[in-house]
Amino acid sequence: MVEHAYLIPLLPFLVSLVILFFFDEDAHSPYAPYLGIATMFWCLVQSLVIFHQASSGAVHPWPYEGSWEWFSFAADSAGKGFSAAMPIGILIDGAAAVMLVVVTLVSLLVQVYSLGYMHGDPRFKRYYAYLSFFTASMLGLVVSNNLLVTFACWELVGVSSYLLIGFWFEKPAPAYASKKAFMTTKLGDCGLYVALLLIWAKFGSFKISMLAVSAATPGVLTPLAATAIGLGILCGAAGKSAQWPLFIWLPDAMEGPTPVSALIHAATMVAAGIYLVAKTYFIYAASPVAMEAVAWIGLITALLAATMALVAYDIKRVLAFSTVSQLGFMLCALGCGGYTAGLFHLTTHAFFKALLFLGAGSVIHSVHTNDMRQMGGLSKKMPVTFGTMFVATLAIAGIWPFAGYFSKDMILERVYGHNQVMFGLLTFAALLTAFYMFRMIFLTFVGDDRDHERHHHAHESPWVMLWPLCLLAFLSVVSGAALAHNGFFEHLVNYKLPEGLMTETLAPRLMPYAVTALVCGSIALSWFFYGRNDFTLAESLKARCSPIFSVLENRYGFDAIFLSLVAFSDRIAKFAFWFDSSVIDQFFVDGWGLITRICAELSGLFDNLFVDRTVDGFGGLSMDAGVLLRSLVTHGQVQEYLMYIAVAVSLFTILILSR
Amino acid sequence: MPILTLITFLPIAGALVILCLPKEAEKPIQITALVSAGLSFVLSLCVLYGFDRAQPLMQFMENADWIPSMHVHYALGVDGLSLPLVLLTTFVTVLALISSLGIKERIKEYFFWFLVLEAGMIGVFEALDLVLFYVFWEMTLVPMYFLIGIWGGPKKEFAAIKFFLYTLAGSVFMLLAILAVYFNSTPNTFDMLALMHQHVNWSARFQILVFLGFYFGFAIKIPAFPFHTWLPLAHVEAPTAVSVILAAVLLKMGVYGLMRISYGMLPLGFAWFIKPLIIIATINIVYGALCAMAQTDMKKMVAYSSVNHMGYCLLGIAGLTATGFQGAVMQMITHGIITGSLFLLVGVIYDRAHTRDISAFGGLAVRVPTYAGLMFLACFASLGLPGLAGFISEFFCFLGAFQAWKVYAAVSVLGVLATAAFFLRMMEKVFLGPFNNKWAGLTDMNARELASIVPLTVMTVALGVYPKWALDIMKETLIYMINTPR
Repeated sequence: MVEHAYLIPLLPFLVSLVILFFFDEDAHSPYAPYLGIATMFWCLVQSLVIFHQASSGAVHPWPYEGSWEWFSFAADSAGKGFSAAMPIGILIDGAAAVMLVVVTLVSLLVQVYSLGYMHGDPRFKRYYAYLSFFTASMLGLVVSNNLLVTFACWELVGVSSYLLIGFWFEKPAPAYASKKAFMTTKLGDCGLYVALLLIWAKFGSFKISMLAVSAATPGVLTPLAATAIGLGILCGAAGKSAQWPLFIWLPDAMEGPTPVSALIHAATMVAAGIYLVAKTYFIYAASPVAMEAVAWIGLITALLAATMALVAYDIKRVLAFSTVSQLGFMLCALGCGGYTAGLFHLTTHAFFKALLFLGAGSVIHSVHTNDMRQMGGLSKKMPVTFGTMFVATLAIAGIWPFAGYFSKDMILERVYGHNQVMFGLLTFAALLTAFYMFRMIFLTFVGDDRDHERHHHAHESPWVMLWPLCLLAFLSVVSGAALAHNGFFEHLVNYKLPEGLMTETLAPRLMPYAVTALVCGSIALSWFFYGRNDFTLAESLKARCSPIFSVLENRYGFDAIFLSLVAFSDRIAKFAFWFDSSVIDQFFVDGWGLITRICAELSGLFDNLFVDRTVDGFGGLSMDAGVLLRSLVTHGQVQEYLMYIAVAVSLFTILILSR
Repeated sequence: MPILTLITFLPIAGALVILCLPKEAEKPIQITALVSAGLSFVLSLCVLYGFDRAQPLMQFMENADWIPSMHVHYALGVDGLSLPLVLLTTFVTVLALISSLGIKERIKEYFFWFLVLEAGMIGVFEALDLVLFYVFWEMTLVPMYFLIGIWGGPKKEFAAIKFFLYTLAGSVFMLLAILAVYFNSTPNTFDMLALMHQHVNWSARFQILVFLGFYFGFAIKIPAFPFHTWLPLAHVEAPTAVSVILAAVLLKMGVYGLMRISYGMLPLGFAWFIKPLIIIATINIVYGALCAMAQTDMKKMVAYSSVNHMGYCLLGIAGLTATGFQGAVMQMITHGIITGSLFLLVGVIYDRAHTRDISAFGGLAVRVPTYAGLMFLACFASLGLPGLAGFISEFFCFLGAFQAWKVYAAVSVLGVLATAAFFLRMMEKVFLGPFNNKWAGLTDMNARELASIVPLTVMTVALGVYPKWALDIMKETLIYMINTPR
């Protein structure tokens, strides 16, 4: 099975094309979705088999690599050109095996869920084509053995997210949001692009297995180069995974259909950044500086996003900020040398975050609003949604025995070992997480209904939407414990850092208990503010700390910075064009034309006044001479002519003879 | 069979036939034009079929005395550098002619000039004699002048004369350089292949002077900053199909000249100019993209994006690496295909709406989905999306330049960002958002438009997904060019 892993990205890709070109645009035709779902199901089965084989050690050699030639091109080595091959192929290691399952599973569930959620949309089939394409790009990114192909898939992920975030493009907000997402990630991609150029300059190859070997060879990769490459990749990852300061696109991306948000936040797009850092971990292993930068970017993001989530009222935005924050956790773990921990959290987070988004979609589907202030008391109306979302919230808050507990614990342990200040800050972010997640649950499902009209019409969603929720809830409960059991995950997904790179301090044994106790306290606090149907305390707090609230609501002004950056570049563009048209074109080029014309006029004038006059003067002169001569021959007698001839002949004769 | 001669002069033959037809016979004129250009395309495909990819040197050579007293030869040949461009020319010309079937006035002259133009362009890429090269080079000028000046937009006369004079000014310097090369070679020759070996006898000073003479001619054509300002004007005023040819083929003559003549014959002059060249390339990329960002007219935006994209060619060349050269040649091809389709697409909307103002539209994707789809694809290809043609070529240019010029290449990456910015903004304003009811009567693309654009779209995808066969054609020649001892 593993040797045919290339089918996993290839099939959904082909299917998306088939759907796009061969199916009718019919809002109620079920064939396009069924084809997409069936394909994804097959991919899931294949991924599971690969996962099983990988975890049972049945794949030899491990990690598995299959490579073909994509094209060959002219390359250089020491000033000499030669023909180099660019490979395309698959590289299945532990991380890839896990990611394959995560991506295909979440995508499958999202597609099933969308059958209900997107039912009757006029562009139903195109939606499924895009979903398949999106998943295919992500899967390609996961399995590729060549960084250039990875980058290609990375960009395709970007463009498919552009199409899906802007799926309802008739409304201005999604159209704007999709552009913003694309541009912001593209900004990060500039760094990644330069990193790729550097990698080629240093290694002369993009093949990951080869790069890993060369990077570990002493003397090939200087720390400076490794740092530059690492930071470049980090730029790209920060864009895609919505890390500080490029996280601004993610809240706006909520304009897309909610199942798409689930896919983006759980399995595809934002996971890509984390995964890329893990995939190029050998670079970071060679550069402690880049590693530290990864950790701090992750930490800053985790904190900022968590605080922003505290004050959001849009249910999807709360979840969006929570994703940003959780991705920060993962990046922080990776930066602290916690390769396993980061990817473990990526896995468990995929399940409960997909669940949370799909649950939120179910709520929105039912009450037709995103604003939690108009919800409340929905638990009675939507018991399944409430139950599953509650499970996910427990998981993300990190309560034992839910999945998040294990992965978050692993991260915190790792961070503690690296830097205790970071640990303190990250634990604080974890407490904030518990607080705002339960705030969301309380505001949405508990207490009295605040909008009777909406509450009255609220209803549980159809089962096609609910059973994906149930399955994800099941995974949110068990996946953590199951994967952590006996170090299973650590055994499968691991990266051996070189000795001495990371200082190791073992966390105290009591640490998990202490953190759990604090989290429970945070949940209680959240209940105190939002769970008692009495918001006076929250309101008074808000009134008293309104400057802080407005800073948080304005996302620390990062959006404003982004907008001013856009305005600034527009102004530069305007200036450049003014310079082009006025200075270069009108002044210099047309100026030359003008000078040439003036010269022409002048020379024309000179010609008329001087040259021509001279010519005319000569004409006049000869005329005058003629007139003068004519006066000599006024009589016109033959004798006179004869006399002149005789005189002339005699003169000539004398002249000739005298020589 | 002198196949290259046939490729070059079939369009001329078609043009002569058209000249003999009465001007009311519109159908026969169109058919003659299509058939002659089409045959030329088919023959160039035959050359591709017979072309030996492992062989870096000239193939299909033809040689005959032309003006023996001055050692002028009629010499043609193609190698991995010129064959892709010949193919591009014949291919794009056929599509441009298909799109020109919508031309309504003075059909006879239009197609006549168009075919003469094609012959000139093909000849430039095939000529192996400097005089012949110069003749073909100038042969493109006159048809272009008439095509812009007669069938163009509101300011067509000014645009045409500006284009003509500007490029002519460049060619004059080129002519001087050609003569300088001739009189300083022993034995005196115009043979381009022989001249490649003459530089050992030439001083650096002489090479620099000659280089500048050639460069002036090429830079205007490319167009390299600061000689680029004729381009937006000419593009905006030219009819659609002429814009296509202008962007897709005519600009490439400059880059081709730079690689074939400046690099091949004048290594010292080229080495001397390499630093200015990388700076110009960076300016072209970043500044061209910025200028494009400020446009409100779609066609002018695409025109400035050409300035940006030709900057990538210069970037690749300035690296003086095999990868960079590969990128530059590939970029010429992909830019021809992508920008060709962009101009055709802009023409489609202009034919219907009679405006190209970006802010005049809105939400068109609902009304004209096919058009929107093709436009999106072309825009994404132009901004360098992987999987589409522009990415690989652009990437090679960067890769090649980066080995020699890290900072300049890194700065140029900003141009990629700006390119994305203006294309996305255009797509958002024209196709997304609320539908502007003013355009409720807009119809989607018709068969003629599809026939001219879809082949380009197909090529865009094909070259992006599987660039192997295109890269293979040019690879060996470019490696040879880099490795030739100089």
